[in-house]
Formats: sequence, structure tokens, C-alpha cells
Amino acid sequence: MRRPNPGILTMLPVLVFLLAGFVIPILVVALYSLMPPRTFDLAGSPTFTNYATAFAEGYWRPLMWSALGAAATTLICLVLAWPTARVLAHLAGRWATLVTLLIALPIFISESVRLFGLALFMMPGGGILAGSIDALFGVSIGTILYTRLAALLGLVYIHFPFVLFPLLLGVSLIPKDQVEAARDLGASGWQVFREIEAPLAAPGAAVGALLCFVLSLGANAEMNILGGQAVTVITNAIEQRFNYAQDWPLGAALTVLTVLLTAAVVFPVLKRIDVDRLARR
Amino acid sequence: MGTILSTRAVSKRFGDVIALDDVSLEIREGEFFTIVGPSGSGKSTLLRILAGLETPAAGRVRLRDTDITDVPANRRPTCMVFQNLALFSHRTVGENIEFSQKMKGVPPHERREHALDMMRIVRLPESYYGRRVTHCSGGEQQRVALARALASDPEILFFDEPLSSIDYRLRKILEVEMKDLHRRTGKTFVYITHSLEEAMVMSDRIAIMKAGRIVQTGTPTDIYYRPANRFVAEFMGEVNVFELANGQIAELGIAAPTGATGYLAVRPEFLRKLNDGERADVRFPATVANDYMLGSRTHYHLDTGKRILVAEVAAGQAAEIIVGAKAEWGFDLSDAALLDE
Repeated sequence: MRRPNPGILTMLPVLVFLLAGFVIPILVVALYSLMPPRTFDLAGSPTFTNYATAFAEGYWRPLMWSALGAAATTLICLVLAWPTARVLAHLAGRWATLVTLLIALPIFISESVRLFGLALFMMPGGGILAGSIDALFGVSIGTILYTRLAALLGLVYIHFPFVLFPLLLGVSLIPKDQVEAARDLGASGWQVFREIEAPLAAPGAAVGALLCFVLSLGANAEMNILGGQAVTVITNAIEQRFNYAQDWPLGAALTVLTVLLTAAVVFPVLKRIDVDRLARR
Repeated sequence: MGTILSTRAVSKRFGDVIALDDVSLEIREGEFFTIVGPSGSGKSTLLRILAGLETPAAGRVRLRDTDITDVPANRRPTCMVFQNLALFSHRTVGENIEFSQKMKGVPPHERREHALDMMRIVRLPESYYGRRVTHCSGGEQQRVALARALASDPEILFFDEPLSSIDYRLRKILEVEMKDLHRRTGKTFVYITHSLEEAMVMSDRIAIMKAGRIVQTGTPTDIYYRPANRFVAEFMGEVNVFELANGQIAELGIAAPTGATGYLAVRPEFLRKLNDGERADVRFPATVANDYMLGSRTHYHLDTGKRILVAEVAAGQAAEIIVGAKAEWGFDLSDAALLDE
């Protein structure tokens, strides 16, 4: 009797989990998106009506806001994380651990709690920031709470560690002597960054950017808590279709569109990253 | 030949460790200058200061008549070949070699021509141009690093022990190539190594470092035959060092050269077996304890009863020396170096 391949056996639990928790639900959603509007079973005759409705009723707008927000968050996080990662990579011992902890610890606190904290901080009048300034200096300031800017700030605040840590790994992969060699061969600071540091840290940056983009694209707590009604993102729209509007097929269609957009961004990037190079570290 | 690069009273410390202590040296135009010393002697720090990768805590560095102490590496007309080569691992051989020219904004076709010229100089086949450096062997990477350094057309090339991780045979080949390259390019080479052999083979002049200071500077011959002190004598290969005390070579019980104190250093090739009636300034009986064949010459360990001495004899004259036999051995004082410390 042939014995089963041990590789397959060890993979089995994960395979079952992925099948039940990822593949089947997404297939169900994809199937729902093809059902007639406002129906609740999967037996109807397939139609593209929901997709037509999605475009006709302007749902590209929340999708665009989500994509823009995610892209802006990713860009801002990368710009902020680069110097941080460089400093952390060169800091030795205790200081590096301390700073890393300070950045990592908030991850262990619920996202909503942190966002409500941020909202309290930004609250006008009696808010922590405005109230303190008023009490100390007698100056009244406005607030950015319930604006797109506040939502973006929340997105950056929440997702910064997801960019920082992969990037830190990437930056620590840059051999110091290659940087020195480049300088010695006449490269300016900017040229060293463009020719040596950026390409060598690229795998880490790409992993971090992907994490950040995908997570931000699916985020809605930031919008609800900090953005108020200022902007509707695709996740809000999907939630409304499923809950309030009770239009599952349209909600499913919007979901599929979001997944497709995500895939269109993720796969080209993933194809170019040498994940092995990062993992070997 | 004028001085191209010099330091005056350069010092550097890392925390409590003094890496360089008041180092002054002069490197001449076009010479192959080697800094030798055991690890931790400060030679790498000195080289990094010369290259502009490190700034000294005190002292000045001059390039001809210009003070370059505070000029960073990318604005010095010098280039370094690093210990582990520091090739750009994400780039091809060609891109590595062209790097300095790309930084200057030289157009691609011109860079390519120049890179191919450099590859010819270091004897790399043209077909390697598009190859990833990570796909090259150790010796090939060595050549890429050399070509990359040469391509920036530096006035001075620095080498930080580039051959230290290469196996013996290839190292011997590359040592010779390096010296040839020096002759052909006519550039000033400043080389660092902990290997005396490497230094002797390649250099016009050698500086010996110990604990952050330069102990002696001179030609290989100078340093080999006229060491400044016991450390240099012992660092530069096999040597018999005798302590002089109370006007005597203590271990041999023989009168020392008049009034001298300190040490007497004799290279193994100057110890010889004395025939009947042959005279020598210093003579002593010894038993041949063992022999070590080194190809063109043989080393003998001589047991004087108080210590072991090393004698070296050319292959043709070794026949009459028999292990276990007792004989008169000796040397002349004109062949020995008198050392104060």
C-alpha cells in the first residue's frame, strides 16, 4: 500500500481551514453577486444586473475613496517608516528594543479603543488637545475631527506598525559596506538611497506597503469614528447593502469588485518580491 | 618622488579603546605602500581615515598640499577595495563597474566602453558584463571589485585585506596580479594586511603597526634585515632573538658585542654549520633536533641545551647536516641586528 505523502498530511489542517474559512465563503459571495437583486437564495438564474447597478448608482465613488485613502495611507506610512526604520536598524541594543516596544505595544490594544482615544483627543472645546490648550493658554482652537483628514490620520496611526516592521527587516538587509562602497565611488546621499538602499530594502518595503494597502482598503472603523459622515468608503457601502438595505446580491457584487481591485494591486507586486530573501534572514 | 598622501599626528579612539595613537606617515606618489600589523593594531581604522570613511579625533590628513581631513569619501580622488569586496549584490558585473561613472552622469554607451576596458585590464572575459555578481566565483568577484575601483580613475587605491578570505593558491596568483596591476596602472596603492608574506611580495614600502602606533616604516629588505625592535623582527618571520645581559649573550654564555644591551636578532639563513677551522663571531655547539623541508630550502631546529634555534639552509647545501648529529654552529655579528627593545 502506498503511504500518503507526509507533506500533504502536514498541510491538511491548514488546507481544511483555508477551504472552509476562505475559499468557500468567497465562492458563496461571488455566487450571490450573480443572483437577482434583493433575493436571499443561491438558486436564482445568474445575472450581471448587480454589477450594472453598482456602476449606475455611483458605487465607484466609495470604492475610489477607499482606494485613494489606502494609497495615501501607504505612501505616508512609507515616508514616515523609512527614517524610523533606518534609525532603529542602526540603534544598538536597549534603545532599539525600547523604541520597538513603544511602537509595537499599541497593537495589543483594541483598534476601536485607540480610535476613540484619538477622537477624544481631537474633540473640539472640551477635547484633550483643545481643552488643554484653552486651559493653559486661553486659546481656543478648532478641530479636524469628522473630516477626511482625521480619518486619514487614524488610518496612518493604526497601520504604521504594519509598514514599519517589514521595512525594518528590509533595511537591516542592506549591507553597511555596500553603502560605504557607493559613497566611496562618489555617490551622493540621494544617489546612495536610489541606487543601493531603496532596491535592497525593496522587498521589505513592498511587503509592508501591501499589508498597509490591503488593511486600509478594508478599514471602516477609522472612517466611522474619526471621519464621521465626511466620507463613505466601500466597506460602509457594503455593510449598508447587507444590513439596512437587505440587498445581499448588490452587497456581494461590491465585495467582489473590492476583492478584484485588491488582487489587481497585490498580485503584480507579490510577483516581483523575492519573499525568500526576506525569510532567509 | 613626492609625497601624495600624508597624515600628521592622527589619533582615534572608540570608547575606551585607543585605535590610533599619534600616527604620522608619508605615502609617495606611485608606490605600493602596505600597512601590516596584527588584528586590533589599528591598521583598518587608519585606512578608513585615509579613505575618508572615518574622521580622526585629532591630527590632519593631506593629499599633496591640500588638507582633506574633513573631505568625505565621495569627494576624495581615492577608492577602496573592501575586505569582503562590498560588490552591489543586486547588480550585474557591468553595473558594478560602471557605478562611479553613472554617479557622474556619463552616458550609458560611454560607460559600457569604459567598463569593458577595465575588464580587460583585470582580465575578466567580456561575456561577464551582463552576469550577476552573485553568480561569479571568489576570484572573479575580486577582479570585479578591482575593476570597479579602477573605473572611478582614482589617484590612490586602498585595499582593506581583500585577499584574506581567499584560498592559498588563488591568493598567490592574485598577489602577483595585484603587483602587475600596480606596475601597469602606475597608481598609488595603499594596502592593508596582517600577512607578512603578502606585504613582502607586493610592497615597495611597508609600515608596521602595533597597538595603534607605527613601529617602523621601510622597504621590505630594510624591515626584514634591520628591524627596529623585537616585535618587528618576530612579526616579520622566523628569527632567533638573544637577550644581552651583563655583556653576554645569556643563553649561549658567550661575550656580547662590546657594551651592547638589549637583544640580538639573527635570521635563520645566517646561522651556519662551521667546518673545522672556519671562523665566526659567535660560535656554539648544538644538536640538530629536527628538519623541515620547505622546497628550495630546509629549516633545522638546533638544540643548544638551553634553547631551540632555527637555521635555514639552501637545498644544495643540506646534505651534510644530519638530524641527531652534534656540531659547531655560528653566525657573524655583521649579519645580526642589535635591538634596544
